[in-house]
Amino acid sequence: MSRLAGVAAVALVALAVGFVLAGQVRAQLLTPSNQVARYQALVRSVQELEAANADERGQIADLRAQIDALESDAAARSATTQALKNQVSDLRAHAGLVAMHGPGVEVFLRNGVPGRDSSSGSGYQVNFQDVQDLVNLLFAQGAEAVAVGGRRITPLSAFSGSGGQIVIDQGPPLASPVKVDAIGDRNRMLAALDDPSSLPGVRARQVQFSLHLTFTGLPDISVPASDSSLQVPHVTAS
Amino acid sequence: MSRRPRTRRPPVRGVRGLSVWLIALLVALVATVQIRSQAEVERSLVGVDTTSLAFLIDDLHSANESLASQKTDLTNLRATLQSGQAGAADQALTDEAQRLRAIDGLIPVQGPGVVMELDARGLTALDLQDALNNFMAARAEAIDVNDHRVVTGVAVEQDGGNVTVGGAVVSPPWTISVIGDPVKLAEVADLMTQQLLADRRVRAAGYRTVNDIVISSVIREKPFVYAIPS
Repeated sequence: MSRLAGVAAVALVALAVGFVLAGQVRAQLLTPSNQVARYQALVRSVQELEAANADERGQIADLRAQIDALESDAAARSATTQALKNQVSDLRAHAGLVAMHGPGVEVFLRNGVPGRDSSSGSGYQVNFQDVQDLVNLLFAQGAEAVAVGGRRITPLSAFSGSGGQIVIDQGPPLASPVKVDAIGDRNRMLAALDDPSSLPGVRARQVQFSLHLTFTGLPDISVPASDSSLQVPHVTAS
Repeated sequence: MSRRPRTRRPPVRGVRGLSVWLIALLVALVATVQIRSQAEVERSLVGVDTTSLAFLIDDLHSANESLASQKTDLTNLRATLQSGQAGAADQALTDEAQRLRAIDGLIPVQGPGVVMELDARGLTALDLQDALNNFMAARAEAIDVNDHRVVTGVAVEQDGGNVTVGGAVVSPPWTISVIGDPVKLAEVADLMTQQLLADRRVRAAGYRTVNDIVISSVIREKPFVYAIPS
């Protein structure tokens, strides 16, 4: 009798364990596969939107080139139009709508090493504020044209993003390593980048997370024209 | 010679053994499923969480709409130039020059937007720079701080205890006038006001939506010394 009772107890325990484990297996199978599917759907959306974004920017660059050619044709027929065209060309250059080259600096910002404790968060990553501070520093030192990751900075440029993603204007997100090119007085910009009191946020994280900031002066660097929107529908000259 | 008595395993031991095997099998199955699922998730995550992806999608939608609108404007401009009508090119170039002067901050401008007032002690250039960037990210079209015109490229710097904009000291209280879409700008101004009021350094912060802000300050155009058109 006692043997039978023992067998029954083991069977019951095994059955209960089996049910619990089966439930667990089902739950575990369901959650991660849903998470993966949802994540993959989001990634697909981002990829499609980025492809559309690149296409739109390409078309904008083409349209600007066509408009420039048409303006040049018109300018060739009239001195007045030529004078206007010259003014517009200069204003476009200042607005970042013309590709430029000249001496300058090439700066790289790279992610550091994650901290061991969870409280250190994303401090090891290059973020949009680091890039914003760097661009502001370069302009303060007389930079005449700046590009971040091949995206030209314009008078209306804005920096945003979350975590290690850096979004500039209507472009796709950039991430480490971030390359910043600036045309201007090399010596002045290099001296500012060398100054330990500049870019305090980046310097602190260089120590804490081994964030990388490297720079070099070059005799001739190129920055592209902006391919972003420069609409100002709410502003009128007063 | 007596036959060696056959030892019979008690049935309960057989059942126990089977149970143990079953349990071991189930545990192995669960562990395998768990490890494979986890590996699959980690492979695809590549360090970006779903919330960041959702924000990114929102940003890209908005960016693509803005680019599409710009494309329409440029297509119309191209059509005007292609028409070859007398004076069409001159008019298009004159309009473009005026628009670019507004963008470059070279002429006084007006339009709807928000005016933010901020009085604080100890705010730094980085605080002002962040505030200006927040407005820029909300598609600000013209900005003025205490009668100093600001565009991206005008340096906002710390000079000892002072904050300078384009080399000129701007002392608190700061009045930040921003022209652009008043709804978008008000959303940003509202968020910033809430954050600023929680900052112990801030004595007062607020904003108002204005139908017609006039910004008279301008930036002096600097000729290029180093940069040459490619």
